[in-house]
Amino acid sequence: MVESVLRATLLGLQLGMTLALIAAGLTLIFGMLDVINFAHGALYMLGAYFGTVIAGQFGSFWLALLLAPLMVGLVGAAIEILSLRPLYDRNPLYHILLTFGIAIMIQGAIIQIWGAQSRQIPIPDLLSGTVAVGPVNYPVYWLFVLGVSTVLIGIVWLAIERSDLGILMQASAHDTEMVSALGIDVSKVFTGVFVFGAILAGIAGVLLGGSRSVHPGMGFGIIIEAFIIVVIGGLGSFRGAVYAALLIGLVTAYGALIAPTLTELFLFIMMAIVLMAKPSGLFGATEAA
Amino acid sequence: MSGKDVGSPHSHTTSRSSISRRTLLASGAAVGATTALGGCLGSEDNRLTVGFALPFTGTYALLGESIVAGFELFIEQQGGEINGREVEFVRRDTEAETSRGVDVTRELLLEARADAIVGPVSSAVAMAMIQPIQTESSAIWFNANAGDYRVTAEGCPEYHFRTSFNDWQTSAPLAEFVYEEVADNVCLAYADYAFGQNSKEFFKEAFEDLGGEVVEEVGAPLGTDDFSPYLGDIQGSGADAVYSFFAGDDAVNYVNAFSDFGLNEEMVQTGSGFMLANDTLPAQGESALGMYSLLHYTTTHDTERNREFVENYVEMYDETPNVYACQGYDSAQAFAGAVEETGGTDPDEMAESLVEMEFDSPRGEFEFDPETHEAIQNLYVREVVEADDGESVENEVVETLEDVEGPDWGCSHR
Repeated sequence: MVESVLRATLLGLQLGMTLALIAAGLTLIFGMLDVINFAHGALYMLGAYFGTVIAGQFGSFWLALLLAPLMVGLVGAAIEILSLRPLYDRNPLYHILLTFGIAIMIQGAIIQIWGAQSRQIPIPDLLSGTVAVGPVNYPVYWLFVLGVSTVLIGIVWLAIERSDLGILMQASAHDTEMVSALGIDVSKVFTGVFVFGAILAGIAGVLLGGSRSVHPGMGFGIIIEAFIIVVIGGLGSFRGAVYAALLIGLVTAYGALIAPTLTELFLFIMMAIVLMAKPSGLFGATEAA
Repeated sequence: MSGKDVGSPHSHTTSRSSISRRTLLASGAAVGATTALGGCLGSEDNRLTVGFALPFTGTYALLGESIVAGFELFIEQQGGEINGREVEFVRRDTEAETSRGVDVTRELLLEARADAIVGPVSSAVAMAMIQPIQTESSAIWFNANAGDYRVTAEGCPEYHFRTSFNDWQTSAPLAEFVYEEVADNVCLAYADYAFGQNSKEFFKEAFEDLGGEVVEEVGAPLGTDDFSPYLGDIQGSGADAVYSFFAGDDAVNYVNAFSDFGLNEEMVQTGSGFMLANDTLPAQGESALGMYSLLHYTTTHDTERNREFVENYVEMYDETPNVYACQGYDSAQAFAGAVEETGGTDPDEMAESLVEMEFDSPRGEFEFDPETHEAIQNLYVREVVEADDGESVENEVVETLEDVEGPDWGCSHR
């Protein structure tokens, strides 16, 4: 029993932190750009696929972890500059249709190029095997994923709260015209935020691609979880996304112990309760205002 | 517009409009055009029409395409003809949706006037197809993948011939091997949906009949990404072996997590062949080493017939055939055999002739059970071993269970 709970807790934390990487991008993009980015799951998936290609080609997981997210960032830049930018002042429905279309296109391209078969990113010997965590043996790689995600989330958090760039980002989101009047090119900030979100999703893709199967359906699978997280945490709130991601990760992991088939339902019920009790999400009112 | 089609301009218009955008996108404009042409000409008396009721989009698209590829390979080898009659193909995308089963079947039977229906992949779709095929009684049905035993058990449909497998075949017969060679106690792990539950139950029944003990049952929802909570229960069961049913991405995630957690050093993994198949092994890699599974076809099975099939398939498509391709290939063989034997396409006559035949398949020889119309075929216990290239892994047949006959599903009154 103790073992099961410990194992579930570790999994829940790891899931939470990797989901936070994805949800952070989603919520930042919404917070700054006012765009609900349905293509975010596809960017995560691209990270995983680029990872399989690079790791397969050069035999190096580390190179994949470094390069694949940057490539996803490039794709993100192309999406923002070429397709989103002309639509910023339109009705949000346009953003949803556009990004949803892009998600379908990326999925289609992946099937065309790499086929529908599952793949996986081979993990380095250094990270294979298990290590004893108290009474349970836990895979080294999964702990590695937990560690890397946690560190990254910490850095991003600090950057947003403390750095000049973070303050600029928050300012741009708060009052675009004022920031623009101060001589700052807001469109560059927007591109930067979108690319940054894409890179985080790409990193999550490579990390999870080492422990989960990489397949063309993974993008749409993750986007639903990411949305639940963002809604619970509060649209646009980074802090909210991190807390909500941890909550969802732990609920998913414990749910599997108690009632596996109902876990997904739990998530939706939680979202419904939060929406009824506090429609702006747990942290929505304070930050997204 | 002549011959058969006189007096039915209806079929002309409807068959054109029925070519949905999706079908065109999925199967390419060329196939769409053929379909339209077939509809217009009302399939000249001399042609044979094969209707594919398969998923060409979505999760199971790979299976649908593989079945068609196998089928077309056989027809190609016959010079595109059976018994001197040209064979044309009509594709309809079931999208693996139950609700599409009836529509797709009706379209194939009434508009395309198919002489044979090949498909589907999903058993829920198959259940929906029984009624229209029985009602029309105009085509023979080769079930090239849907393995739920209930497709047979519910009414023993007479035009239904399962050129693939059923869930009993890929589970229960493994019990004896596990009991005698591996362990007398197992934990059952399964994807918690109809096929997984059936497989688990069939195995359990057979294993307990032999005197084995099932110490724990662990079900995980379909589409589980992280198996670690379930692995805890499996490990905690203290069993010496596991019998599992997972397929596709679940199988990849499950097998990898099983090895990541080091459970493969404590207990022997056994399961349905779909868990360790061509479509999953590349992603499972070394994690799968030493695991045992049961299936009716193995790409790397070293027989002359299979080597020839694999070579031809690789030559035509530049990829190795999977079990689904073999099932498609054998569906074509069965159809060709029936047409040649009866000299026509009367489904009743074809059904009568099919139970008399024996087929020389890449999987080994097989025939249809006269009562259930299930394939009586060899089943192979395979072990995952390192491939000769030293990098990838592959299945090696370690034991052949010959001509396995399953339950009669209450069809013996036929």
